Amino acid sequence: MRALMSALTVIGLFLGLGTHADAEDTIKIGVLVGYSGISLLSGQLTDGAIKLFQKRYGDAPGGKKIELIRRDTTGPNPEVAKRLVQEVVTRGKAQILIGPDFTPNTLAAAPIVTEAKVPTFVIGAATSGIIGEKSPYFTRTFFAIPQLCKPLAGYAVQHNWKRVYLMVADFAPGHDCEKYFSAALAEAGGTLVGNVRIPLSNPEFSAYTQRIKDSKPDGLFIFMPLGEPSIGSLRAVNDSGLKASGVKIMGTGDITDETYVDAIGDAALGTITTGIYSTQHDSAMNKEFVKDFEALNGKSPRIGWSAISVWDALRLIYDGLDAQAGSSFDPDKFMAFVHGRSFESPRGPITIDKGNGDIIQNVYIRRTDKVDGVLQNVEITSMPNEGFR
Amino acid sequence: MISFLTVLFNGIAYGMLLFIMSVGLSVTMGMMNFVNLAQASFSMLGGYVMVAVTQTFGIPFLLSLPIAFVAVGIVSLVIERLVFRHFYGTDDLTQVLLTIGVVFMSIAIVTYFWGGTYRQFSVPPWLSGQQEVLGFTLERYRVFLVVVGGALAIALVFGLERTRFGAIARACVDNGRVARACGLNTDLVFAITFAIGGGLAGLAGALSANLLGIDPNFPLRYLVYLLIVVSVGGIGTISGTLIAGLMLGVADVAVKYYAPQLGGFVIYVITVAVMLWRPRGLMGRSA
Repeated sequence: MRALMSALTVIGLFLGLGTHADAEDTIKIGVLVGYSGISLLSGQLTDGAIKLFQKRYGDAPGGKKIELIRRDTTGPNPEVAKRLVQEVVTRGKAQILIGPDFTPNTLAAAPIVTEAKVPTFVIGAATSGIIGEKSPYFTRTFFAIPQLCKPLAGYAVQHNWKRVYLMVADFAPGHDCEKYFSAALAEAGGTLVGNVRIPLSNPEFSAYTQRIKDSKPDGLFIFMPLGEPSIGSLRAVNDSGLKASGVKIMGTGDITDETYVDAIGDAALGTITTGIYSTQHDSAMNKEFVKDFEALNGKSPRIGWSAISVWDALRLIYDGLDAQAGSSFDPDKFMAFVHGRSFESPRGPITIDKGNGDIIQNVYIRRTDKVDGVLQNVEITSMPNEGFR
Repeated sequence: MISFLTVLFNGIAYGMLLFIMSVGLSVTMGMMNFVNLAQASFSMLGGYVMVAVTQTFGIPFLLSLPIAFVAVGIVSLVIERLVFRHFYGTDDLTQVLLTIGVVFMSIAIVTYFWGGTYRQFSVPPWLSGQQEVLGFTLERYRVFLVVVGGALAIALVFGLERTRFGAIARACVDNGRVARACGLNTDLVFAITFAIGGGLAGLAGALSANLLGIDPNFPLRYLVYLLIVVSVGGIGTISGTLIAGLMLGVADVAVKYYAPQLGGFVIYVITVAVMLWRPRGLMGRSA
């Protein structure tokens, strides 16, 4: 037994030395997103973004060759996420993380990445109170709930949709959005005529649409998570005749996300949403991004927000590693470099807040229209430099 | 009053949807005593078949429904002959594990062939939008669901449950050796019943696509509803499944309308209450 132990120790030493020897010229990046289950498409878009980024900018920023460790978080599943983060950080020796996605997963990762000093890019969790509070190593390239939930309140009142009904999914980000939207609506002088929280697993909306009809609002604000709840709610709102009766349908951009807006079909037409990115964004950088992305990864799934969040995380990683060229990776220097960065992204200009690492970005008000026969989120107004509070 | 009746109608329509979704499972589980969770996968497949034939071949929606029934019936027959028939005698847990495995495989297979995106699909114009009926504004697709669900229930009760074939199927399950000794071809009876159950699931997928969407996660998202309806209704009865579907549908919609803060909670309360009161379901046969 003792012989066996010592043999293992010796082997362990060799392995340890082995990884140490080439630590200087490689950097391991853990990518933790959903490659199966409800966020399967986010996983595909993440890989698509990485592929295009490496094709354009190579795979050795600052002379360090990037080695990716991909893991499937399988959805909002904090136990799985925690185990994967632990594995990727301690055994895989990942020095930077992209993901995990979803708020509960991100929270589960916080203590581990803080202790191991692993800069972590939050690309799929929008709840406020995570970035800068749960770990100093978090940076967000996604969005914060207030950024998307507040601006539409003022916009609605300006356009005389003063009586608004609020429909949110019954989970933490939904409650968050409810809070921010109703406060902003009151401030803008609008009236909240009613609100309803809808269970996450809900195939039947008719009771809710009937309630909304009864209160005769000018506008309906919807906050739903990505996927089936968004599709189901918009289709139900359309089928119930709410939209036809002149109620303005609004919401955060999740409800008309490009990855499934086609499945909603014409029921999505005319929906007003706030968004951080639309493939229709009018800039030379974005046009080239969309063209190259589709040429490399195909047209399906359509480019959604996961792609752009990962893209901007990679921009920060590459720039941060370039800045440390020639020396070994220092996570604290890296964080100091990332904080306060401003750059142009295909979505428009973005800034990482100097204080807490959350994102400051333009928020666009968009209308879902048909462009060349395809449903698109067309930007109609932009609200520059929306903060995350 | 108007809103009460509208809510009642919407509840009935939702109940019909639940019935249509779970009747295939009720057939295989009730008549054959085989716990087939893969019914939910057959429904998903039915949805994909419907989309494929309407979009690729331009076949009208109504005609795509029998096609989904037949196509999925054949697929389920093949799977039954190759895999499931070897597990008829085994215990429930084995069947559950086997068929949930098939569900996961179906998700991966569908993702491989059709991708992970939600399928684009819309019903013909005469089935979408609203219709004034006796002063009520009803959704046309819901009226359609109520009609189809009612017709399906009648057809199944009188064409399957209360026929000679229904009796034969139950005889084969209850005592296969005696049934065989009486000259019944149990293998054939099981195969036919299973194919009908699978076909019904396929039809359900095609019919529900408009309200529930079609994507690879379909089976896991709705499996629990199937199980609830079948167990509340009572394993082995089609009329029980219908009653359970309608009861749960109306209760769900009514509570969501009158007390939305209770939300999706009520369907589970009813399920637990019924299970405590009648463990074999509302119309369940005694053991």
